Amino acid sequence: MNLEKVIFGFFIVMALTLNFGFFLGEMENPKYHNVYELFVLVVVNLIATGLKLGDRTQIGAILLSTSLVADLQLIAAAVYWTIVVHVTKTGLTPDVTASIVSLSGGALVANIVSVVMVVAETLMLRR
Amino acid sequence: MASPKAGNPVIFIVLREMRTPIIVLICVYAIAILGMALIPGRDGEPMSIFHAFYFVMYTATTTGFGEIPQEFNDAQRIWAIFCLFATVIAWFYSIGAIIRLIQNRFFQLARAEWYFIRAVQRIGKPYYILCGFGDTGSLLARGLSDAGIPAAILDKNEHRIRALDLRDYTVPMPGLCCDASDPKFLVDAGVRSSLCLGVIALTHDEEANLKIAAVSRLLNPDLKIIAMSASAFHEETLATLGSETYFVDPFKVFAKGLGAAIYNPSLYILNEWLSHAKGVSLHTHITLPPPGRWIICGYGRMGRELYKVLSGFGIETAVIDPAPSDHDIDIYIRGRATSKTLKAAGVHKAVGVVAANDDDGLNLSILIHARGIHPDIFMIVRQNRHQNEIAFNAANADIIMQPSLVTARKMLFMLIAPLLKSFFSFLVDKHLYDKGFMNHLLQRLKSKLGDASPQLLTLLMTPQRATALYRAWQQGAAVLLGDILRDPRMREDELAIVPFVLKSKDGTIKFLPDSQVILQPEDELLLCGTESALRLLDSTLNNEYLLYYVVTGRNMPRGYFMRWLRGKLEGDEAVRWPRHQAVT
Repeated sequence: MNLEKVIFGFFIVMALTLNFGFFLGEMENPKYHNVYELFVLVVVNLIATGLKLGDRTQIGAILLSTSLVADLQLIAAAVYWTIVVHVTKTGLTPDVTASIVSLSGGALVANIVSVVMVVAETLMLRR
Repeated sequence: MASPKAGNPVIFIVLREMRTPIIVLICVYAIAILGMALIPGRDGEPMSIFHAFYFVMYTATTTGFGEIPQEFNDAQRIWAIFCLFATVIAWFYSIGAIIRLIQNRFFQLARAEWYFIRAVQRIGKPYYILCGFGDTGSLLARGLSDAGIPAAILDKNEHRIRALDLRDYTVPMPGLCCDASDPKFLVDAGVRSSLCLGVIALTHDEEANLKIAAVSRLLNPDLKIIAMSASAFHEETLATLGSETYFVDPFKVFAKGLGAAIYNPSLYILNEWLSHAKGVSLHTHITLPPPGRWIICGYGRMGRELYKVLSGFGIETAVIDPAPSDHDIDIYIRGRATSKTLKAAGVHKAVGVVAANDDDGLNLSILIHARGIHPDIFMIVRQNRHQNEIAFNAANADIIMQPSLVTARKMLFMLIAPLLKSFFSFLVDKHLYDKGFMNHLLQRLKSKLGDASPQLLTLLMTPQRATALYRAWQQGAAVLLGDILRDPRMREDELAIVPFVLKSKDGTIKFLPDSQVILQPEDELLLCGTESALRLLDSTLNNEYLLYYVVTGRNMPRGYFMRWLRGKLEGDEAVRWPRHQAVT
């Protein structure tokens, strides 16, 4: 067993599962999409990105870029949420909620790509 | 670089040839438009120049939208008839001029040459120039393509160049139909380019090969030059052209190979196996005839070389040839090889027959005659034309020798595996003292590679070819040859690779180096392995983490954070390359 693989795999899979949980449910209904879940999701994604820094392989570079894509989309969703609730005070109307959830859906795809690549790379090894 | 020409000569020729037609077109249009703009219409006013232009434009192309903007009067109609005929004739004349130009032989040559020069300049990686695309040339081109090396091809025969266009090579192989011994075309093929690795002269004309070699040497002193040659005179001349000049005589190569085969069949099998000869595997076994008389039919270039080799081994040899004998040969039968002359040469008690004429029909008939008289006789037959392959395969000879194939293989080895020659010399020498050595080597190859087809790889340890290894060296690591030949997926397994030669920077050569050898920068390795194993080796040499794993058995943490954490937990040594770890 390899400690690095455990930590690395944990954060990458955690980012995917949390994102899936947040994304699930009626798109326009804010009841299905928890703000704390989004917060944890952003944090876990940022940690996963941090763990990927410093890898000099090609696959490491692609992993880092998919992770950055997920970060970008999730941060955009979080900022949008904050603005509608605290700045414009329009609240989570159906179309605002749909925008936020669709941003997290984009990040979900990036997370899936990350997990697939990590699994594929591990499967190539026979140890 | 090829001498940069001012612009595209093809466009220049087209423009020059189109000068007259274009002026004719402009004049005819101008007259037609002017006439239309001057003739008064139904309302007494002539058309405006714009409307006249519009009318002539669609009339000249026979589109015929009608009488626009208003109905014409008869005077205008008469002029319209003139416009139509004049412009259509002018168009026919112009189009005819273009077609005549395209059909012009010299224009086609200029165009082909221009496209060829551009294609060569676009190759973008090191390449060879191949002069002559016959049987040997096309075999060599196939081999180069398999090794991923492009080539610029010159041949006199237009049909061969057309055939080249239809081949499915993995790398660019631009071809031009021209006389390769003309220096101009060698320059077109980029003989002066820094990307050009060498020139290979394979034309059927010995004088042309010599001229190609000499011209190439003058135009670029650093080139590697390989020429096909079959006479001592040409070889002497070639030898004066400098150190990077080589010549290949197919008959000498084959005679040498045959000599080695008679004394050491394993060596012959190894060579055939490495060159991917059809139907040869490491399990192939050639049963050589017992010592006895050999008959050589045809005392030409191949016959002479074979006679030299066989008599050099002290084998009793008879020769059948129509030409009078000029050498001191014990048994020399004058005449064509027929049942009668074969019997006269003692085919009943002979053990082997060599059909060495330059005529395939004759060789096949010798084969049939000899087999008819003596069914178990060992037959070596020379096949001159590649297209007769089916007939020769059906004839069931013991060894078929194709001069073109022998030359192509030899040259390919010279290009992609220059160390192989010294390896074979080593094997020949070694074999004289150690009889079991070859069998041991074949056993080792068999157990490593199994039935997979072997690939040769010359690996020069440069920062480009082995990025990870260089980084490891910079950090003071010592890496063993055995380490990089471990499987990066599971280091306890070894890759299916057998190292043949290790040549270090100072020129010392180790044959069949063992796994404890420490690698040094700029070492040159000749490896024989399966394609997938060689690809895994390449990934090890270029991926730091894989290299660290195969050398130490531990995984290097990949990210900054993990490396820091590992350093904190297990000490700095855990994230560094081990120094002095190797056994010297």
